[in-house]
Amino acid sequence: MKFQVVGCSHHCTPIALRERLAFSPERVHDALDRWRLEFPGVEIVLLSTCNRVEVYCAAAEAAVVPDRRRVAEFLARFHGLDTSDLLDCLYRYVDQEAIHHLFTVASSLDSMVLGESQILSQVKQAYQAAAECESTGLLTHAAFQAAVRVARRVATETAIHRRRVSIPSVAVADFAKQIFERFDDKHTVVIGAGEMAEETLRYLQDEGVRRVTVVNRSFERAVELAQVWQGRPVQWEQLDEALATADLVISTTGAGEPIVTAEQFKRIERSRGDRPLFILDLAVPRDFDPAIGEREDVYLYSIDDLQAACERNRRQRDKELPGAMRIVQHETVRFMAQQHHRAAGGVIEQLRDGLQQPKEEELQRLLNKLPDLDDSSRDEIRRSFDRLVNKLLHRPLASLRDESRHGIPHVLLDAISRLFRLKD
Amino acid sequence: MLSGVGIICFAASYSVALLLELSRLLFRSGIRGAVMLGFAGAGLVAHSAFLYYRAVEAAGAPLSSEQDWYLVAAWVLVVMYLYLVYYHPRTSFGLFLLPLVLGLIATAVFFANAEPFARGPASKIWGMIHGCSIVLATVAVFLGFMAGVMYFWQTQRLKNKLPPAKGLRLPSLEWLQHANSRTIVVALITMGIGILSGMILNLMGEHPDDGRVPWHDPVVLSTTAMFAWLLVAVITSAVYRPVRAGRKVAYLTVVSFVFLLIALGVGLFLDTQHGGPA
Repeated sequence: MKFQVVGCSHHCTPIALRERLAFSPERVHDALDRWRLEFPGVEIVLLSTCNRVEVYCAAAEAAVVPDRRRVAEFLARFHGLDTSDLLDCLYRYVDQEAIHHLFTVASSLDSMVLGESQILSQVKQAYQAAAECESTGLLTHAAFQAAVRVARRVATETAIHRRRVSIPSVAVADFAKQIFERFDDKHTVVIGAGEMAEETLRYLQDEGVRRVTVVNRSFERAVELAQVWQGRPVQWEQLDEALATADLVISTTGAGEPIVTAEQFKRIERSRGDRPLFILDLAVPRDFDPAIGEREDVYLYSIDDLQAACERNRRQRDKELPGAMRIVQHETVRFMAQQHHRAAGGVIEQLRDGLQQPKEEELQRLLNKLPDLDDSSRDEIRRSFDRLVNKLLHRPLASLRDESRHGIPHVLLDAISRLFRLKD
Repeated sequence: MLSGVGIICFAASYSVALLLELSRLLFRSGIRGAVMLGFAGAGLVAHSAFLYYRAVEAAGAPLSSEQDWYLVAAWVLVVMYLYLVYYHPRTSFGLFLLPLVLGLIATAVFFANAEPFARGPASKIWGMIHGCSIVLATVAVFLGFMAGVMYFWQTQRLKNKLPPAKGLRLPSLEWLQHANSRTIVVALITMGIGILSGMILNLMGEHPDDGRVPWHDPVVLSTTAMFAWLLVAVITSAVYRPVRAGRKVAYLTVVSFVFLLIALGVGLFLDTQHGGPA
C-alpha cells in the first residue's frame, strides 16, 4: 500500500507558476482521464485552488505509484511546461506524512489565511470530481472521508474557524450583528463605491438587508451601482436625508476631507430619534469626523479599527493552532493504524478459517459420539468451542493490532503465515 | 430536614451549572451545553419537588411564607433561564441569571425559620394573587436587570471596538433593548396587580393583631415607591421617544432593580408588619 501527495503551494511556489499549474474545473476531468491511461491502477485526486495544486495518488501495490519526477512530467506535459521548471518547487510526502498533510490542508491549517472555511469544500469537490471520473478507490476514499471528518473535528473542538479575519466579515459578524438582531427592516446607505463596500454589502444582503440607498457624487454612477446592488440611487445633495433614516452606513469615497462633520451630524441626529447607527467608514482619509463616534447611539468603525480587530482575531487563530495540530496528529496515527491493520486482513481471515475447520470437525465428531444430548446441551458445547477459538485468536490478533500502529507488521505477518502454514 | 436537604440539592445543581457557564470563558467543549442543561434541569426538578412538598405540608404554600416566596421567585427565574438557553444555546445568559437565582435562594435560607403569613380563608385567594403578582414583578425586574447589564457590557465592547470575548456571547443590542422595554412593562402591570390585591387584602382586615397592615408600613411604602417609579418610567418612555432608546431603557431597568432591592431589603432588615405570622 502506498499513499502519496506531490504538489506545490503558496509556501514554496510563486503565484505565476501556480497559475500555470492550476486546473480549471473543466480541465480536471481531462487530466484525470489522461492519468488513468498513463498510470492504470493508481487512484488519483487532483486538488487545485488559488493557493495550491496537489496530486494525491495511491495504490495497493507501492511499485506502481509514480515518483515525483513522473508526476512532474505528467503535469508538465498537461500544461505544456518544462519538467525541470517544476521539479524544484514540487514537494512529495508519502504514507503517514501524506495523510498528515491532507488532514492539515482539509482542516485549513496550511492555508494562507489560517482557518478559512473555503478549503474544506474545495477538498470535497476535488474528491467528488475524481469519483465521477472513477479515478478513486478504497485508499483515496478512506483518506478523503477521514480528512473531512478530521476537518470537522478541528472546527468543533477548536475556535480556529470562529475568528473572522477579513474586514467585511469582521464588520458584519463581530459588530453589525451585535447591534442589530435582524436586517430585513433596516435601511443601509452606501456612500461612494469600492470593492470592499460591495463585499460588505453582499455580507449584509446575506443577512437579510433589502433596503439599500446609493449616494455618489456622480448621480449616473449612483444609478449604475444601485442597479447592481438592487438599491435606490439618490442625489449627493440628499445625503443628510438619507443618513437621517439610515441604520447602517458604508462609506468609501475618495474625498480629501470628511464628508460628514460632527456639527453636520448633530443636525442629522435630531431627526433620527436616538436610533442606533452603525457606520463603516472604509475611506482613507476618513469620510466621517471621528467625533461622531462619541455620540451615544453611534457605532463608528474606521478601516484601522477593523484591521486591528482582524489582527487580534488572527492572533487568536494562531493560538488555536497547536491544539488543532494535535488533533491532526492523533487522527493521522489512528488512520494509519487502521490502514495497516486492514492490510493484515487477509492473514487474519486465513488464521480464523484455519481454526474454524478443525473446530467444526472436532465438534461434529464429539456430537456424533454423544447422540443422546438434548438441543440445549449441544448449543452449550458449540458455544464453548466458539469461545475456545476466540480465546486462541485473541492474543495473536492483539499483537497484530499493536504492531499495526508502527506500520504494516510484515515480520509478524510472515511469522504467523509460517507458523500456521497459511497461503501467501 | 426536607428543607435543608432539598435546598442544598438544587442550589448545588445551579452552582454547578453556573461553574459550567463560567468555564465557557476558559475552554471550549462539545458536551458542556448538554451537561449544563442537565444540571440546571435536575436542579429545577429538585426545586419543584421541594416546593410541592412544602405545598403538601403547609396550607397556602408554596406562597405561605417569605422563604417560599423567594424560592418561587428563584424557580420562575430558572424556568426563564432554561427557556432562554433552549432558544439561544450559545448566549451566556447563565452568567447573569444564575447568580441572581442563587442570591434569591440564599435569601430564602435566611428566612428558614420565619413564621408563615397570616391568612384567613376569605383572604386566601387574594393572598395568592398578591403573592404571585409580586413574584412575577420581581422576576420581570430581575430579567430586566440582566438585560440592562448585558446591554451596558455589549455597548462598552462595541464602543471600544473590541471583538467578542472568548466564550462570552451576548445578544444584540436590539434584542436587549426589546427585552428591557418588555420587562419594565410586565413589571409595572404585575406590580400594579400585586399592590391592588394587597390593598384589598388589607381592607378585608384579617390580620391577627389589629386586622390591617398600616399604610405607612416600610414594605408598603417601598413597594408603592417602586410601582410609582415603574409607572413614571413607562409613561415617560411612551410619551418621550428618546427614553425608548437602548441605553436609557437599560438605565430604567437597572434603577428599577435598585428600587426592588430596597423593597426587599426593607422586608429583610426593618421592622414591618407586612406578611406577619399566622
